[in-house]
Amino acid sequence: MALSHEIRPARRFMARLRSRHLFHAYLFIAPVVLLFGLFRVIPSVQTLLYSFYKVELLRGRFTFIGLDNFRTLLTDEIFRQATLNTLTYVLTIVPVSACLGLLLAVMFNATFRCKEFFKAIYFSPMVTSTVAAAMVWWWLYNPQYGLFNVVLRLVHIPNQPWLMSSRMALPSIIIFSIWKTLGYNMIIYLAGLQAIPAQFYEAATIDGANAFRRFWNISVPLLAPTTTFILIYNSILSFQVFDQVFVLTGGGPANSTNVVVLELYRQAFQRYNFGYAAAEAMVLFIFILGVSILQYVYTKRFEVVY
Amino acid sequence: MRPTRILAIAMALLLLAPIVTLAAAKTTISVWFPEGDIATGTIAFADKNLFADFEAKNNVKIEMMALDYDTMIQKIFAAAAGKNVGDILLVDMSWIPGFLKEDMLEPVADAKAKAWLAATSPEVKTLSDYGKGRMWGYPQFGIEIYGLTWNKDHFKDAGLDPEKPPKTWDEFRDYAKKLTKRDAQGNVTRVGYAIRHVGQPHGIVHKHWWALYGAGAALVEDPLALRGGKVKFNNEAGKASIQLILDMLDTDKSTSLTFPDPRAAFLQGSASMQISETVSIKARQPKEAPNLKWGMALPPSRRAGDKPVTLMGAWMFVVPKQSKNKALAWKALEWLNSPEKDFELSKKYNATPLYKANWDKEPFKSDPYDQGLKRLYAAGISYPMNLGFNGIMDAMGAAIQKAWHHEASVDAALAEAERLGNQAIAEAAK
Repeated sequence: MALSHEIRPARRFMARLRSRHLFHAYLFIAPVVLLFGLFRVIPSVQTLLYSFYKVELLRGRFTFIGLDNFRTLLTDEIFRQATLNTLTYVLTIVPVSACLGLLLAVMFNATFRCKEFFKAIYFSPMVTSTVAAAMVWWWLYNPQYGLFNVVLRLVHIPNQPWLMSSRMALPSIIIFSIWKTLGYNMIIYLAGLQAIPAQFYEAATIDGANAFRRFWNISVPLLAPTTTFILIYNSILSFQVFDQVFVLTGGGPANSTNVVVLELYRQAFQRYNFGYAAAEAMVLFIFILGVSILQYVYTKRFEVVY
Repeated sequence: MRPTRILAIAMALLLLAPIVTLAAAKTTISVWFPEGDIATGTIAFADKNLFADFEAKNNVKIEMMALDYDTMIQKIFAAAAGKNVGDILLVDMSWIPGFLKEDMLEPVADAKAKAWLAATSPEVKTLSDYGKGRMWGYPQFGIEIYGLTWNKDHFKDAGLDPEKPPKTWDEFRDYAKKLTKRDAQGNVTRVGYAIRHVGQPHGIVHKHWWALYGAGAALVEDPLALRGGKVKFNNEAGKASIQLILDMLDTDKSTSLTFPDPRAAFLQGSASMQISETVSIKARQPKEAPNLKWGMALPPSRRAGDKPVTLMGAWMFVVPKQSKNKALAWKALEWLNSPEKDFELSKKYNATPLYKANWDKEPFKSDPYDQGLKRLYAAGISYPMNLGFNGIMDAMGAAIQKAWHHEASVDAALAEAERLGNQAIAEAAK
């Protein structure tokens, strides 16, 4: 009994300590939670609600229309085109930029002169403003004076219309975006490669494996978590593509580069259809949610412990 | 005097100070306008003393705020939704149907509108009257008219009379072919006529307006029916207007999809003819192409004897319903748009005046450029006032792009545009 009397105050003390710790912990994260709620959660919930309404902001009128916005989306050819363009963009840029990033990372994993300098050059597009870079690329793509056509003319290839053509505009934007994201992928892959213990390669070399076999049988499988991260991170970013399209083509010619975010921007801020734009945002949210669920599942599956 | 009494008086004075300051403070009227040389008279806003007389007489302060043109409409809308918009807005006339759809604009008082319409020149009256004498704002001096501009040196080199622009579509095609230049590999280095085929659909329709309306098509059946109606471009005339450029692209190869903005191409010397806002060429030419000799005329008509047609627009001063100082805002606009100020500013900034009476005064009466513009004004057709206007323009702009870029046949592109345009009209009318 005496012992239990001694334990009880100790427990109470520990509980008080824990609750005080918890209180402090919550106090520390409160600003972030508040700001996150204010600027992320509330607008997201509001967007979800708006998608079921006809929203007339200036009149302050909100008319509940159920699933009408989503029904209209199903038959909206411009939105369909924007979705297809977005999917084409995502499905091209994500694998291509990941493969090129891996290739560069393998190259930079070796030792050579001025390595850090070249690494910085490859990474520099990542830290450049998309809008500023897109403006420069707009000139590079200029059919009359652009550098790309100057180079083509030097090798006797006719001028290409690039952004002026409905067939070439989307590939031109994709090329720009690959250039922009390549450096980031390279750095992440390089970190992944450098985390692989050297003895794996040494053992394989002793067993007679050539460089390609070592890369294919050791690097690629052990880079699976990195690859999963890169694919998913790039997919999420690519679904939200806007800046480069807005600057380079504005969605044209003939909607050939229109993407979901640009379309919802137009619906909201040029046509004032906020409810409809919210429904478009929800469709985009579903795409990104799908990718995020994949991330959750595959990150666990491809976990590697050395 | 006791210290407590001194303290009490000091406290009272301190409390009164903000009230006295507030009472003496001037009311501020904010004017939002597009920055740069987008609008003809924007340059006037660079003058800090523009409203000096008005400010002194009315004990107000006019605060002028320049906004980026490309995002101006979005900023206005967002600010209006937040009830913190400028008291006076200088807006592109083609934005007005969108604002009206949202019930955002204050109408001009009937008596003021009547007086304005009676005193201003015919083209200004056309731009101001939204049907039955209803007005939503005042056009700014120096209204905008689209015209054919041509490079006189290119004409001379091609063996054409530099003082005689093409008058008909056939002549236009013929001239454009003669003016086009290619390099040894066959690449077009200079187009006879530069087209606008990329960018915002509105801009594409603006620059094809002359052919569309000149052929006999129109964006809507009744241009002043604010609600309802049908589009009127999916017909023989609409198809002919798009086909004209397609023929120049595919058959004559006298224009090209690889040339961006026609005005830039014209000023850079890589296009011999273009059709756009004449004021823009006049403003940019001295800076960008000082040696360019150019002419200005009405766009060609479809057949000899047909009346040529062109787009006429203006930047409009409007007062939003969310303005905090509506009465003073209207007062400032009436002051700025008085006959005296119109004369003074038009003369100072080398623009055309608004009032009939001012056209009878020098320099406007005998200035060749102003008189040239006056001839163009006579053929000017303004934007239709329909609440579905933005949707119609989006649909028509996309149809033109699709046809020229060979994404769809002319028939299919126009049929789709008709469906989308009518849908936009119906939705806006709800």
